[in-house]
Amino acid sequence: MKTLVVGLGNPILTDDGVGVKAAFEIEAQLSEEERQSIAITEASVGGLRLMELMIGYERVILIDAIQHTNGYKHPTGTIFTLSADDLRNISPTQHSASAHDTSLITALEMAKRIGMPIPREISIYAVEVENILEFNDQPTPAVAAAIPKVTAMVLEELRLSPKSSG
Amino acid sequence: MKRITIDPITRLEGHGKIEIFLDDEGNVDNAYLQIPELRGFEQFSVGRPAEEMPRITNRICGVCPEAHHMAGTKALDALFQVEPPSVVKKIRELFYSAFYCTDHTVHFYALGAPDFIIGPEGPPAERNILGVIHKVGVDIGKQVIACRKRNHEVIQWLGGRGIHPVAGLPGGWSVAVTEEMRKEIEVFARQNIDFALFSLQLFEDVVLGNQAYVDLILSDTFAHSTYYMGTVDENNHINFYDGKIRVTDPEGKEFVKYDAKDYTQHIAEHVEPWSYLKFPYLKGVGWKGFTDGMDSGIYCATPLSRLNAADGMATPQAQEFFEKFYETLGSKKTNGRYAPVHARLATHWARLIELLYAAERMLELATDPEITDPKVRTPITTTPKEGVGSVEAPRGTLTHHYQTDEKGILTKVNLVVGTTNNNAPITMSIKKAAQGLITKGTEVREGILNTIEMAFRNYDPCMSCATHSLPGQMPLEVIIRDTNGEVLDRLSQFIE
Repeated sequence: MKTLVVGLGNPILTDDGVGVKAAFEIEAQLSEEERQSIAITEASVGGLRLMELMIGYERVILIDAIQHTNGYKHPTGTIFTLSADDLRNISPTQHSASAHDTSLITALEMAKRIGMPIPREISIYAVEVENILEFNDQPTPAVAAAIPKVTAMVLEELRLSPKSSG
Repeated sequence: MKRITIDPITRLEGHGKIEIFLDDEGNVDNAYLQIPELRGFEQFSVGRPAEEMPRITNRICGVCPEAHHMAGTKALDALFQVEPPSVVKKIRELFYSAFYCTDHTVHFYALGAPDFIIGPEGPPAERNILGVIHKVGVDIGKQVIACRKRNHEVIQWLGGRGIHPVAGLPGGWSVAVTEEMRKEIEVFARQNIDFALFSLQLFEDVVLGNQAYVDLILSDTFAHSTYYMGTVDENNHINFYDGKIRVTDPEGKEFVKYDAKDYTQHIAEHVEPWSYLKFPYLKGVGWKGFTDGMDSGIYCATPLSRLNAADGMATPQAQEFFEKFYETLGSKKTNGRYAPVHARLATHWARLIELLYAAERMLELATDPEITDPKVRTPITTTPKEGVGSVEAPRGTLTHHYQTDEKGILTKVNLVVGTTNNNAPITMSIKKAAQGLITKGTEVREGILNTIEMAFRNYDPCMSCATHSLPGQMPLEVIIRDTNGEVLDRLSQFIE
């Protein structure tokens, strides 16, 4: 199954780069054979541009930083696995208030509406982060410790027989 | 005193918050836009080789990496005192025109157009690009994506990478244009022109064809009589890549025209205790508080301001629309210059005229016989010390200023980003919109929130709501508090 792994975030903004760092780690651990069907990339984009990156892939795995803001504090470094449906539920799905773009979910809906081949499977790995306001190319210790864990989780998913590979 | 907070919950580049303070009568006393400071950029940069800056600064924000890359590259030209070959300037401008075509397109169709096509009071669930597709047709969605796709291809070819370009070098550009590439870019440029003309027609049909919208655009709620900034060429026509920075006064007369390197002589920064972000103003006029008019040094740097600061557009079709813009909005011409349009919502129209200009300029460059010249580097022979580079980012004049030791290691870095220029005007616009909409006894509803948002959305601010964060949206929350900070009422859109 043609797969894309995207590490999202800003690699020089302390914990924000956790997804990018994990993506590089995953790339280093893939075999030559695996690289034939799995593409790895990094990006600090969202909405339309992220959707556009996904076009033509059957499966997409996103790795990103997350910060819960609903008052319930999760320990830094906690790894969450989410589906696109989860994203739809926690995200304001159809709101135009974003300052320069639209949400990923809206962008994917749009792609579907105009007949573009969006991925059948999207899974998201999100690492709870602490510091995303300071420029630094090193993450905080708890986030650094989560990188090998999230790397292993993504590799495991990549190496399992795809659920819907029919 | 009551306090209303419009709080986009998402984080990072986009985490801005609007606070509205009510007086004891329940009328708006003050309104602020607050953006958390991203700390330590200068410390991060100092000690690194200056030539890394175009690649580092394009990481600052996911919205306009191309603009940072270009301002950084131009700052390196100045730092190393090296004049790039003529073809390099053309390739850079070609790349930059493609970037403008994508950026202005997404702002209009994802953010500006929904307010007019769905309506400012329309249901938020429809007030987005999906709603636009629903109303205008599936074909428009396809066109938006096709426009972005072809221009991203050009950005990738010329920039060396799709998202965070790497091609800029002091005195050069690491990619030469092949004839094969040139031919494709020429086709793309023609398609961009058609798309820009289509978009302008759509604006005319949907917005100008509806008197209620014209009234809204021209209403006092969305007007500020400020100074205007923009980069112009030798004919005082808009140029995004290079030129002198021109500032015109609220009546339309040229106030000052200067080289980017002299920006500190003309621009000063005001500090407020409630904001990390500074408020640039014109030194020659002075800071008089959040007020407009001839005596206030507040200026604006947006598509609207670029039109106002210029005498016209450098390409023929964009020039026709430039004239139509001023004639339609009731501006009189004196001494060959139109009086400025102060209506902030007209920025959406100005943005489309700039889209057409970018497309036309792209075609000019793609058909320039020199564009395939392979000599894309001027050797460096001097010792670096200090350099300033600036470009027009889609959302305002962007300036990079670097100082180094004799080995080119950075000792000092200053950036004035597009949105910062507009910090004071945005603050004024939010306050004015809030004052017009919230008075004693008003029940704050979603439509009101959206109209206040419209006041700052037209600036296309680059506190862009964490383009890559989860959940990747900007939900709004309004909290009304009494003087003790107790929450009296809470109204939210789309918060988990």
